[in-house]
Amino acid sequence: MENTSSDIRQLNEKIHQASAFVDLLNMELGKVIVGQRYMVERLLIGLLAQGHVLLEGVPGLAKTLSIKSLSSAINAKFSRIQFTPDLLPADVVGTMIYNQQKNEFVVRKGPIFANFILADEINRAPAKVQSALLEAMQERQITIGDTTFKLDDPFLVLATQNPIEQEGTYTLPEAQVDRFMLKVVIGYPTKEEERHIIRQNLNPEASTPIRAVIQPGDIMEARKLVREVYMDEKIEKYIIDIVFATRNPEEYKLQKLKPLISYGGSPRASINLALAAKAYAFMKRRGYVIPEDVRSICFDVMRHRVGLTYEAEAENVTSENILSEILNAVEVP
Amino acid sequence: MYKQQVIRRILLSFFIGLLFPLGLLAQNTLEVTAKADSSSIRIGEQVKLHLKATVPAAVFNKPEFRLLFPIVPDSMDHFEVVTRSNQDTLTQQGMKVLQQTLTITSFDSGHWEFPPLKFEVYGATGANSVDTLFSQPLAFDVNTVSVDTTKAFKPIKTVQAVPWNIWDYWPYMAGGGAVVLIALGLWLYFRKRPEKKPVEKLPLVTPYDLARQQLKSLKAEQLWQQGDIKQYYTRLTDILRTYFEHQFGIAALEQTSEELLKNIKPVTKLNQQRDKLRSLLAIADLAKFAKLQPTADEHEDCMHKAEEILEWTRPKEEPVAQAPGAPEEKPQTGA
Repeated sequence: MENTSSDIRQLNEKIHQASAFVDLLNMELGKVIVGQRYMVERLLIGLLAQGHVLLEGVPGLAKTLSIKSLSSAINAKFSRIQFTPDLLPADVVGTMIYNQQKNEFVVRKGPIFANFILADEINRAPAKVQSALLEAMQERQITIGDTTFKLDDPFLVLATQNPIEQEGTYTLPEAQVDRFMLKVVIGYPTKEEERHIIRQNLNPEASTPIRAVIQPGDIMEARKLVREVYMDEKIEKYIIDIVFATRNPEEYKLQKLKPLISYGGSPRASINLALAAKAYAFMKRRGYVIPEDVRSICFDVMRHRVGLTYEAEAENVTSENILSEILNAVEVP
Repeated sequence: MYKQQVIRRILLSFFIGLLFPLGLLAQNTLEVTAKADSSSIRIGEQVKLHLKATVPAAVFNKPEFRLLFPIVPDSMDHFEVVTRSNQDTLTQQGMKVLQQTLTITSFDSGHWEFPPLKFEVYGATGANSVDTLFSQPLAFDVNTVSVDTTKAFKPIKTVQAVPWNIWDYWPYMAGGGAVVLIALGLWLYFRKRPEKKPVEKLPLVTPYDLARQQLKSLKAEQLWQQGDIKQYYTRLTDILRTYFEHQFGIAALEQTSEELLKNIKPVTKLNQQRDKLRSLLAIADLAKFAKLQPTADEHEDCMHKAEEILEWTRPKEEPVAQAPGAPEEKPQTGA
């Protein structure tokens, strides 16, 4: 159905009101998390756009604290799984255990049965465990024995990867990385933020606990609204141009990128870029998407979806470099 | 007397009878020889030495038969080997003749003996037989050039001129001829080629003039009056972005509104015009991406703001730029 001008105006007002909780959430999370606004913002995008987030950063950057605080602020169940080489799929999803008193097998659910999952160092576990988690992420249901269990809503997986220690790790295959809506690369805090972190940690009594400012049901409602955010066909074309430029750079006068890209973004990249842009517009309390929304989220959606050739690796060209070139060449509507 | 004659005939017949089988025998044996063209040479003079081996055909055709000619070193006592021919095989009167010619010389004056040469024969008398045959030694007199020391020394002769021959110069003549032909061809080509039409020069338009023209044309099209508001704002912002791109050298067409406002700041002083640009871009974004229907006054106002921004950023000097292509201009600061 064609959206009319008045529909969009109403939608804009509706979203403006409904998205007020984003500021509340940010304020609440700001009580315990110093800096890392970028990461928190991306977590919320993942939450609102029903996508999962792969986080790359060195240890000690408040990854666990962020997702734990977010789950507390939403009054949702949080679970942390430390991925290790000896982890088994049953340790993640659960298993059947024999109950001697009842003389029957009973289901023991795994830690994946929560709203927020922190899959810490996902690349340390073997492929079968990664697959079990990624399958659950995709299907949003788990089968143990003969019984299929739907996972709780909202369901957000935040997987982390350490970029510096690659020895003894199982690199996620491209097809599985593609299942993450966003790949967020986080850096160190600034000097000022670091000072706040020190003070906060030296005086833990002064910090106030996170209180639940919204309920999981509010997130489910917000998700519906995110899907309703208006996206003009010009923005759709812009998204398609960006994704196609990763596949056929020569069509966008970027012949020099052709030997550097082994594969471009999949249709899932276009879908996720559109969804994430809508979620970003929602967080900016708008009922429509503008090119800024697409550009703001583009790196996080696309960086793990652009494959580099050996030539690119030899020349130290990163997927971010390629995406920058593309964004500077594709005309903004 | 008669008796003596008879005895003499008998003895002669006896000796002839003895020689006949020896001749036959010689015809059926393997012989090697070494013969020189001359036994007396001047110092440094070359002489041919013919090595020859005569082999009965029956022996030669034996599968196991092999004859190795002597291996004469390049240099030996008093003699030097200058050249060696390939070994040749001839058939003469039922015999196989193998021969090779060496050219030898000597630089030592005196009487020298060329040593006997060793030929090795395999399989001549039996399947595994090995025989060795030697040629006769050869004597050479190597003489020096006699100099009459009683006479005065003559001067050294000058280099003798070689008689002129036209074929000695044919590559130069061919090259010269080719150059003449190419020159002639080029001359004919340039003489007969169609004359180039004079290039029509496009009128040179500055980015400012181009933007003014485009705004005027946009006004004349009356897009918003016809209800095509989205197209009106798309064109309006495109005109401004193209102007900024050409006038200030920033990639305005590839930047979002916020990026444009940020990136235009270092290249021109927009002052209060910056707010006008922000407001224009914000309304345009709403019209383009949120189906906002601004009022007629807002349409007029946006056009007016665009004109004001153009005037404000108009360069003082008129830089030359070619329209409608991309003008090559340096970013300039507005007034």
